[in-house]
Amino acid sequence: MTAVTTLDTPAAVTSSRGPRGLLWAMLRLHRWALWFWLLLVAVGAGALLWAYGPGADAAWAEYHKAGCGSTTPPDLGCDLIGPAYTRYDTFVGVGAGILGLAPFLTAAWAGGALIGRELESGTAQLAWTQSVSPARWLAAKLAVPAALLTTGMLLLTLLHRLLWSTDGPLRAAMGSRSWYQGTTFEANGTLATSYALLGLAVGVLAALLQRRALPALGLAVVVLALLTTVLGTVRPYLWPLETLTNKHEYPAYIGMVVDEGALTSTGARVADPICVDNTKCLAEHDIVGFYRDYHPSSHFWPLQLVETGIVLAVAALTVLVAFRLLNRRTGAAV
Amino acid sequence: MTETAIEAAALGKGFGRRRKQALDDCSFRLLTGSVCAVVGPNGAGKSTLLSLAAGLLRPTDGTITVLGAAPAAVRERLAYVAQDKPLHPQLTVADTLRYGRELNPGRWDDQVAERIVAEGELEAGARIRTLSGGQRTRVALALALGKRPELLLLDEPMADLDPLARHQLMATLMADAAEHGTTVVMSSHVVAELDGACDHLLLLGAGRVRLSGPLDDLLAAHRLVTGRADASLDPHTVVESRTTGRQTTALVRPEGPLGPSWQATAPTLEELVLAHLRAPEAPALRLDDVREAAV
Amino acid sequence: MVDYRIDRRSGVATYVQIVQQTKQALRLGLLEPGDKLPTAREVVEATAINPNTVLKAYRELEREGLVEARRGLGTFVRRGLNTAPAESPLRTELEAWAVRAREAGLDHDDVDALFTAVLDTHFKGDES
Repeated sequence: MTAVTTLDTPAAVTSSRGPRGLLWAMLRLHRWALWFWLLLVAVGAGALLWAYGPGADAAWAEYHKAGCGSTTPPDLGCDLIGPAYTRYDTFVGVGAGILGLAPFLTAAWAGGALIGRELESGTAQLAWTQSVSPARWLAAKLAVPAALLTTGMLLLTLLHRLLWSTDGPLRAAMGSRSWYQGTTFEANGTLATSYALLGLAVGVLAALLQRRALPALGLAVVVLALLTTVLGTVRPYLWPLETLTNKHEYPAYIGMVVDEGALTSTGARVADPICVDNTKCLAEHDIVGFYRDYHPSSHFWPLQLVETGIVLAVAALTVLVAFRLLNRRTGAAV
Repeated sequence: MTETAIEAAALGKGFGRRRKQALDDCSFRLLTGSVCAVVGPNGAGKSTLLSLAAGLLRPTDGTITVLGAAPAAVRERLAYVAQDKPLHPQLTVADTLRYGRELNPGRWDDQVAERIVAEGELEAGARIRTLSGGQRTRVALALALGKRPELLLLDEPMADLDPLARHQLMATLMADAAEHGTTVVMSSHVVAELDGACDHLLLLGAGRVRLSGPLDDLLAAHRLVTGRADASLDPHTVVESRTTGRQTTALVRPEGPLGPSWQATAPTLEELVLAHLRAPEAPALRLDDVREAAV
Repeated sequence: MVDYRIDRRSGVATYVQIVQQTKQALRLGLLEPGDKLPTAREVVEATAINPNTVLKAYRELEREGLVEARRGLGTFVRRGLNTAPAESPLRTELEAWAVRAREAGLDHDDVDALFTAVLDTHFKGDES
């Protein structure tokens, strides 16, 4: 016995080490989800680190062995993808895939196990009749997963960026993946994390609306899919576009192309009549040049941050609605 | 000992868009230290009333005051066990008690909770999902009493228990009430299981209060009478009367001495409740106004 | 120590049953002056009845001067109950009366009814 016990503080005597109160309850009740998340992050991090090290080395070795890389531009046939690069690409895909999938897994879990099941079985009410108000209960249900999600997602994002910053030549040689492609775009910045938080918020609100696990799970995933689709569609218009014009042929592809077409002598933008090199055809349509509206890679962060802001705002609004709904149903928030 | 544990004033709760009234214009008063039976047929509003008292629902009309405040403001001081005894199935018995300790800082009494669990010979390492209905009830009750509540709300606590477990559970509850003066409110649609344990009755019917008051007073206010069918029961309030051949049997609230043509006996709790349930139009009776519990 | 048995079907109020059983224990000498009655907690733990009922019964016994509550200690028996000794004159008279009743053709139930009716007349108003 090392502890000195006094009669005045019986509560302190029984206290054990480790997390206390609601935090303990959260970690204990959702132990399996926690383990699953740690496993997922570990797998993602492992895949990205492997790709960063041995994976990239093997892909380069394969590339050089094929006699490529000594001349610029690369020989024809050097973009033939070998098994080492395929493996490399798969591992990168696993890392990025986890970043892309996590928001949906989160939404499903939040709607189902985190809130929906508790409302369905009555264990939520069990918590509310301990010394815990519904508002505090919901706050813990949001804060603990949010902290763990943010940590894990940011870790994976940083690893993905690390990889991205070094495998540029490999990508150039093999011609795969661009900065603006959906999964890559999200995995390289703050978006994947913010979508995961949105997934959490949407799942929670869906569960409060449905009050049953399975319908809430379904609703959460569908709504999140809808939101990501809408935001993905408007993504290019979240920052001013740049335009390149060229006579006789299209300007080179140098980024996220949003719109392209032909220009008439008055400067009007028209649909490309697809004359190719037929001058008569071009003259008939009064085509004097071609344009492309696009985002250069320097727009990555502005696009990224504006969308992140929108996603986080929607998430915050969703959380607010969830709290109000819960308060209206259960009486005063104390 | 004469403070109010629960006071409802014109309390109403409707559900859904059509505002189906589960409770309608309920007014009653319960003093601290009472053991109150909330009785009524299924759908009478018993569960709704207990949920409102536990601060789990918000009334649509009227007010309910618990231990002198809004239910949500005295969360720490009341405990509630829902009808289906919700517990986290993945936790062990020991973890469930720890759950109570962690979520009730400053109130939790490990000894009380552990004694109740120990009396049921439950293993601390057993998972909740492996327990029988009676064992779950015991753990749920340990969680509720471990909090050291001043008011204990129990919704159909006996529903899935065998006679022995019922007796044990009731004994545990009564012992706690004896030792700590806990106010206990328990609902049931089986009157017999509450007889002897309760000293206050709240009879609900179709969302309204039919009877409310100290049990002895309510029983004393009624007489079960038998007499000739052609005899008059004026001016007494007749709750229910049945005539077989030349004989009439009735439950009445005497407004004075009963005439010599009537043979009167005191009704039992069950007779009192059944008569009121068979006669839904009988006037309500409240004997719980600002008075001390007549114990 | 006295062990209460509560019969919920008897129609007799629970507190009255406790009072009666305590008196019975006093008559039979199972409880003697100075003995401690079980605490309300002990009684309700065994019988699952309302603790207020036990307290009410104990108050009734106290009112009759049979027991006294000592603060913080419990409820103790103050005096025993007079019982008619086996060889008392009252008993002798009753014995003789019973013999006559039998000779007159009354059976056990008849005597019981007659006895109860007479008791009711003469002890009207006295509780239990």
